[in-house]
Amino acid sequence: MMLSPKDAAGALRDIEAAQARSAQLHGYARSSPQLVLWGVLWVIGYGLNDVFPAYSGAIWGAVVPIGLIAGFAALRGTGHKVGWRYGAVAVTFVAFFAAAFFILWPINPKQIAALIPLGVAAAYVIAGIWWGPRYVTTGIAIAALTLAGFFLLKQHFFLWMAGVGGAALILAGIWLRRA
Amino acid sequence: MAQADEIIHQQTRLKIMATLRAIPQGEWIEFARLKAILQATDGNLGSHIATLEGAGYIAVNKDFVGKKPRTRVALTRSGRKAFAQHIEFLRTILDAAASRHGDREGTS
Repeated sequence: MMLSPKDAAGALRDIEAAQARSAQLHGYARSSPQLVLWGVLWVIGYGLNDVFPAYSGAIWGAVVPIGLIAGFAALRGTGHKVGWRYGAVAVTFVAFFAAAFFILWPINPKQIAALIPLGVAAAYVIAGIWWGPRYVTTGIAIAALTLAGFFLLKQHFFLWMAGVGGAALILAGIWLRRA
Repeated sequence: MAQADEIIHQQTRLKIMATLRAIPQGEWIEFARLKAILQATDGNLGSHIATLEGAGYIAVNKDFVGKKPRTRVALTRSGRKAFAQHIEFLRTILDAAASRHGDREGTS
């Protein structure tokens, strides 16, 4: 089989483009159920937080482990290889926020409830810079909605995060799935 | 020296192999998703998949999710190896051309 350098270069370009698109769409498909899951958990967690503000610690102490276990199961269920990285990402997030709250203490429940989504939003924007523009859009939307709720609707911030924040995550998950 | 692989080199099959290569080893991709990524028709994609499967480069798995039929494909170990060799072959052509170009510049 004879190929000119031009043909070879063209074939390598095709390979690179197909691999990049495949990796991006595979990543979106992998992230989609996680966003939908956490959107539902935000609705439940922030909703309960609005009704029972004195029990924030207990509510999130239950919701976060449920989310991590369900997220792990969702990835396994869809045939994705998970490995140790899923646990490592979870430990990194928990350690980062524990350290941040320790440094910033005293900090009120609404500030905690705003800082965590902002951290998640930053992670999505960073991921998107490398792996796909839809993550950037998702991250910016989460950050903008969190800040809007925190500064403009302080009295109803938990309710805002339950309804608008949770719904935004669910919609973002569906949007990634349809990419 | 790496050899050209005429089965892989056909443009659609090259893209199928590249798409599957980007997915973590051991994971599968659904036929419908592959079709959307490659913007191919059912018949066209099906015939190229059959060719690659016949060569042992990809594995095809057909099952049901509830009552809905599902077809999934994945790169085999020999497919991964053949694809890597084909890429090496393509790079060899470019390297040889670059080296010839360098020689010409050196002698002029």
